[in-house]
Amino acid sequence: MKHESSPYPLWLRIWHWGNAFLFVTLLITGLDLHISRPSPSPLGFRTGVLIHNTAGILLTLFYCLFLYGNLRLGNWRYYRVLAEDIAPGLFRQAGYYLWGIFLGSPHPYPESENRKFNPLQKFFYLVVMYLLFPVLTVTGWSLLLPGQLPAVMFGMRGIGLSDLVHTYTGLSVSLFMVVHVYLGTTGTTPGALFRLMWSGHDNEPESISTVRTPSLELQSKVQGEVPIAHSKDRT
Amino acid sequence: MRAVSTIILFLASTTWIVPAVKAQTSEKSPPCKECHQPRDTTIDLTLFARSVHGDLDCTSCHTDGFDKFPHTSTRAAMPDCRDCHTGSVSPTIDFDKITEGVKASVHAQLVDPAFRCTNCHSPHYFIPGSRMTNVSEALHAANKSCLGCHAAGESTTTEDLAFGNLVEKHRLLFHAELHLQRNACVACHTPRGEQTVHLILPKSEALKDCSACHAKNSLLATKIYLLLAPKQHAEHGWVNVIVFNNAYLTGATRNRWLDWGALALAVLVLLGVTAHGIGRLAFASFRRRS
Repeated sequence: MKHESSPYPLWLRIWHWGNAFLFVTLLITGLDLHISRPSPSPLGFRTGVLIHNTAGILLTLFYCLFLYGNLRLGNWRYYRVLAEDIAPGLFRQAGYYLWGIFLGSPHPYPESENRKFNPLQKFFYLVVMYLLFPVLTVTGWSLLLPGQLPAVMFGMRGIGLSDLVHTYTGLSVSLFMVVHVYLGTTGTTPGALFRLMWSGHDNEPESISTVRTPSLELQSKVQGEVPIAHSKDRT
Repeated sequence: MRAVSTIILFLASTTWIVPAVKAQTSEKSPPCKECHQPRDTTIDLTLFARSVHGDLDCTSCHTDGFDKFPHTSTRAAMPDCRDCHTGSVSPTIDFDKITEGVKASVHAQLVDPAFRCTNCHSPHYFIPGSRMTNVSEALHAANKSCLGCHAAGESTTTEDLAFGNLVEKHRLLFHAELHLQRNACVACHTPRGEQTVHLILPKSEALKDCSACHAKNSLLATKIYLLLAPKQHAEHGWVNVIVFNNAYLTGATRNRWLDWGALALAVLVLLGVTAHGIGRLAFASFRRRS
């Protein structure tokens, strides 16, 4: 795969939307199985299991693509956590979402060539992609192959504990996804970030003027980073 | 449905009507144990002593023709279980209904019109549910009756092969082997919605709706754990350990407190996102002015 310099290379966009489609499928079928009722279930239990298992296997393959892209295609650099990302980064970004975004304050961490994610994004993406997703995947596979699980883990039946962890990790990632989609509307226009993630670039030149304030340009120059003008936020 | 057998076993243990023949003490009984030693291949006296009938004299059931050797009686001449076990012992144990169920079952209809209780229930080793330490033991005992014929073999190897064939016949189920090991055959092979485990249905009429068990009001949760759940609940607290520790059932292995907590969290997140969005809209004019 050719190494693309764009922050949104084709492989990343394929992974992102494939991941999104599969996760939504897993969420719907998982919820249907969790709250299964004696017939008629909306999907039918057996069909639900079949779709859930298939989507889960495909999601694992997509996760492998994500890991490969991060390790070998340079995407890892956007996940590097710097000291300033923690303090004051997390607080400044949280403050922006809680107050500054309403008042039209400049984004504290505008996107640049070296920075695709703001500190909060980094934190949540790292937790979700490198902690919750692996837990979700491993527990999912353990439920797919229940014979491989220890009979007892931490005083509970192994398969029961695995199910419990799988269900509530899935819930956590689902709630993250709700916030993720919502914050996707905080671009220059509600659809700007979605278009960006679909095409890899923003085709709305007018969006630049709403984002690039003099103070931001100055801030970026001070930080030695080359600003990218196509969006003001992304989650 | 297998739960009903557990219920029967449990209640039977507490309300069992010990036949009057028990009063016949061993003084007048033939010395059965002089021949039937602990190493006897026809009956395991240790297991018999642990069974629900362990307190009875042999001659309680082995009546005429067993006082001489060789024994002259036949099985057909022996008293029937129903000679002692009659009527309704409790709301859930009605021997007359059980008899009706057996008569209507595929066993009596297609196998043997004179199908007897002892074809499935060993009178020598029958143990009530209350004496079993866990659900697995109760399931094992319940399924042993079925597998004795449906996965029969002369050795462990042939039994395993027969069980393997049985697994192949149940490929409709995900994880068929686990289902056969951890579930009671009668759960799916008796009528749904009826508290009978004796009316065994033909293969074509077996329960195929997964959600009968894989649901909040699981067929298993409401029957098989009915008697054991309160006991374990009292021992271990609020967590429904009877379900978590005895079975894994997607859709049924749920805890309502965790579910309510999850729902509350989801509602909070949705409300938060909605409020944030409304706030952005409300402040839009302010941002334009500034």
